[in-house]
Amino acid sequence: MRLDRDRPDDEIPTSSMADIAFLLIVFFMITTTFTATRGLDFALPEDDDDPPVVEKEESVLIEILPTGELIVDQDPMQLHEIIPYLQPKLERNPKKPVIIRPDTATPYKYMVQVYDELRQGEDHGLAEPINISVPTQREIQSFWY
Amino acid sequence: MKLKATIEHKPNIPTASMADIAFLLIIFFMLTITFEVDKTQVVLPKTTLRYEIPKQSAYVSIDPNGRIRVSDGNEQSALVSAADEVLSMAAGVIAMDPQKVFVVKSDGEVSWDKVDEVIDALKRAKVRDVYLLSDQRTVTDG
Repeated sequence: MRLDRDRPDDEIPTSSMADIAFLLIVFFMITTTFTATRGLDFALPEDDDDPPVVEKEESVLIEILPTGELIVDQDPMQLHEIIPYLQPKLERNPKKPVIIRPDTATPYKYMVQVYDELRQGEDHGLAEPINISVPTQREIQSFWY
Repeated sequence: MKLKATIEHKPNIPTASMADIAFLLIIFFMLTITFEVDKTQVVLPKTTLRYEIPKQSAYVSIDPNGRIRVSDGNEQSALVSAADEVLSMAAGVIAMDPQKVFVVKSDGEVSWDKVDEVIDALKRAKVRDVYLLSDQRTVTDG
C-alpha cells in the first residue's frame, strides 16, 4: 500500500475574507450619516370649513414679535413667565385655548420655542395638557376678522 | 552536555475570528443605516421635547433661503416653486395613505410666513400628523 504523505490539507482560504469584510465596513462607515430623526409632534386639527368660533376674550393670546419678544394678552412677558401666568386661568378652565400667533416676519425658531414651552405645561404643575392652537394666516383672515 | 531538542514555533497572529468581528460590524451598519430622503442643510430649532419620527415619513424642508423641497418618504426630495405644490403633493400622498406622517424640516431663521404657508398647505391636504424636526435643547442653550 502506498501512502500519500504530500497530500495538502483540505481548507478554504479565508485570509482575504477579513479584507473584504473591512472594505464593506469602511463603505458603511463613510456612507452612514447620523441624522436628526426626532422632533416635536404638531397634530393638526381637522380642516373644517365651519370651525368652532373662539372668542379672543375667552382665550389667551401669545403674540411673538420678530425680535422674539412675547406679548401675552397685551403684556410683554418672558418665556418662563408664561406657565405661571396661565396656571390660575387653566385651573378655572382647563380647556381654555392658548393661541400662538407669531408675526409673519418672526423667525420660526421663536415659535417652536414657545410651542415647546407650552407642551411642557404638565411638567410645570398643570393638571392637563394645554389646548394649544396655532392658526395659520389664512385661518386668521377667514375666521377672525 | 545534553542538548534539548528545540521545537520551532512559527510566529503567527490568530486571525480566524477577525472575519467574525468584521461581519458583526457589517450587520450593525446594515441595520442602522437609514437613507436620507432629504439632504437640505439647515440649522434646526432646539426643543426640550423630542419624539421619535416614524420611518418613511414624508418630508417638507425649507432651507435658509426659503426654498421648499418635498419628498414622499421614498424618493429624494425635489424643489418646488410654491406652497401650492406642497398641497398637491401632500394631497396625493394622503390619498394613498391617510395615516402618513409629515415632517417639517425648516431652518430656525426662516420667517414664520414661509412655514405658515407650508403648514396651511398640509392642513388643507388633510394631513393629521406633523412633526417639527428639531435638535435637542440642552441647559447650555439657555
